This record gives sequence, structure tokens and C-alpha cells, in this order.
Amino acid sequence: MARVITITSGKGGVGKTTTTANLGTALAMRGARVAVIDADIGLRNLDVVMGLENRIVYDLVDVIEGRARLRQALIKDKRLPELFLLPAAQTRDKEAVTPEDMIALTNQMRSDFDYILVDSPAGIEGGFRNAIAGANEVLIVTTPEVSAVRDADRIVGLVEAAEKGPPRLIINRINSRLVNRGEMLSMEEVVEILAIEPVGVVPDDETIVISTNRGEVAVFDQNSQAGRAFINIARRVAGEDVPLMALTDQQGVLDRFFGLFGRKAR
Amino acid sequence: MSFFNNLFNKRERSAQVAKERLLTVLVHDRVKLTPEKLEELKAELSAVVARYVPEAEPAEIEVTLLRGESADMLKADIPLRRSRHDE
Repeated sequence: MARVITITSGKGGVGKTTTTANLGTALAMRGARVAVIDADIGLRNLDVVMGLENRIVYDLVDVIEGRARLRQALIKDKRLPELFLLPAAQTRDKEAVTPEDMIALTNQMRSDFDYILVDSPAGIEGGFRNAIAGANEVLIVTTPEVSAVRDADRIVGLVEAAEKGPPRLIINRINSRLVNRGEMLSMEEVVEILAIEPVGVVPDDETIVISTNRGEVAVFDQNSQAGRAFINIARRVAGEDVPLMALTDQQGVLDRFFGLFGRKAR
Repeated sequence: MSFFNNLFNKRERSAQVAKERLLTVLVHDRVKLTPEKLEELKAELSAVVARYVPEAEPAEIEVTLLRGESADMLKADIPLRRSRHDE
């Protein structure tokens, strides 16, 4: 029976879709059967991030409204035979789906997969409600910025009120040099403020831009630090005990010292 | 903390500023105390205080929400008029 995990954030643009694509791919690389669902109706994006945009025939709303069977709508990944995408509808809006539809859909899929990841739209309204309706677990993505952290806190409250259990946290786009200079909230500070358990920290990494441009996911790139971080997140989600990458004060005083003169201590 | 940071840069680090601002904003978000309600609270509080402590300055009462270690705090500062050493 699949674990249904919703990836959400409150604020837009913090990396929910990138996280869903990379986490789903990393879990499938481990041999799990994975479905990723794009629940952002009207603003379909998970397909382009995964490079599957040319293969879409049917979408989530087609399945819910009975025009297509689930099997017809699921798109198999280019590389991994056990990874599937259920795309969002692009020409409909979020009113086309109800929370009950999402519960029925995920229940229907549970026996065929080990993980079902749901990529939530930004916001706290209908689309978000739909995205968490079928979930057993919620991962909240934030960046170390005041606006994203504030919205994440709001989401924590809503997820707890919806009785989805305590959500866990992914902190995306940490810039360790800025953290070391005291000019960016560190992982520890964000965790302290939000008071939820972290499952991962992802460094701010230009390889994400490049891989997304190409419709590939960073976890396939051996040289991508962000990709490695997502692989570690997948291991933790799967229940392995992997220590969190400390993207913080490790270089300490030396880095701070050189940082003053605009040089990087390595 | 760092000697060099203090030596070369007197301004508070922006991460620290961000953290303090967030902690304040989040307490307000969580408690859902609107500025309007806060004003009401202050008015009633000063009325009560004035009944017991005539030296209290009703106009100067400050009520703030604070994030504490284990619990959030609603803090009231009530300045008292000094009867003798006042200018």
C-alpha cells in the first residue's frame, strides 16, 4: 500500500515542483514504484520539469470526470520504468476537483504504488485543500527567507488542523556562504522557528536551473549538490537514518575571515 | 559572537534581524490578535489598573506579544508616575 505524501509550501516559487520531481525520481531509483501527481490544476508544471510534456494525452481531471482510465492517463518516465506522472489539467481550474475526488483517486492508486507524491499548488485555498485531502504525510518546502518561512508556519497550522500528522520540513536553496556570513537564516534557525522535524536541506545550486532547462532532474547528475541532497531526502523518507547535511557553520571562523575580503575559504 | 564580525561590521547580521522579525510576526499570526483587539485590550487593562494603582499612566501602557522559550507571552508594560522625583 502506497504512502501518499503531499509536497506543499504556502508561498509559491520555493521549489515544490522541483522537489516533487527529484524526490519521486530518487525514490524510483531506489526501486520503489512511484506515482507523482500534479495537483496544480490550471498551472500544470510537473510535466515540463520532468521533461514529459510531449507525452500528455489525458490528465487528472479527465480521470476524475471519467473520460479516461487512470492507466491511460499515467505517463511513464523516460528512464525509470516504475515512475509515473499524472499531469494536471491545463485548461480547467481548481474547482473541477474536490477533496473527495482526490481521496478517491489516491485510494484507487494505493495498491499499485509504494509512494504517491502529490505536488500541491501554492496558497491555502481549494487547490491546497485538494492536494492534502488524500495524504497520509505532508512535506513542507520553504526557503530561508522571511516570507517563505512565515507562509510555511501558516501551512504547519493548517496541516495539523487537517489531522495529517506533524508535517516535516525541507529547506530549499540554502546558500552556505551567506549563512556563514550571518546574512541568511541557517537550517537550525528555520527549524527552531517552525518547530517541525527537518527531512532535508537543499543547497542553492545552479545545476537545478540547468537540469530543469533540459527537462531532466538533478538526481541523475552526479555532480549536482542539490541532486545529492534530494537523494538523501529520499533515503530519509524511505526510513533510512541519514544525518542531515550541515550547510552551515562548518568552515567557521576561517570562512568568515576570508568572507570579509570577498574570498572563499575551501 | 565572532571577533572579526564585530570588529569589521557593527551592523546586526541580517539573519539575526530576520529571525527576530519572524518570531514576532509568527506570534501575532498564531494568536490572531488583531491590532483592533489589542487596542481594546489595552483600554480595558488601563481602566482596571487605574482602579488599583492611581500612579499608572493609562496612555503609556504597552502590550506586546513575545515569543518565549517554552511559551509565547503577552507582556504588559505599565509605567508608573513617580510622585517625588518627577520633573
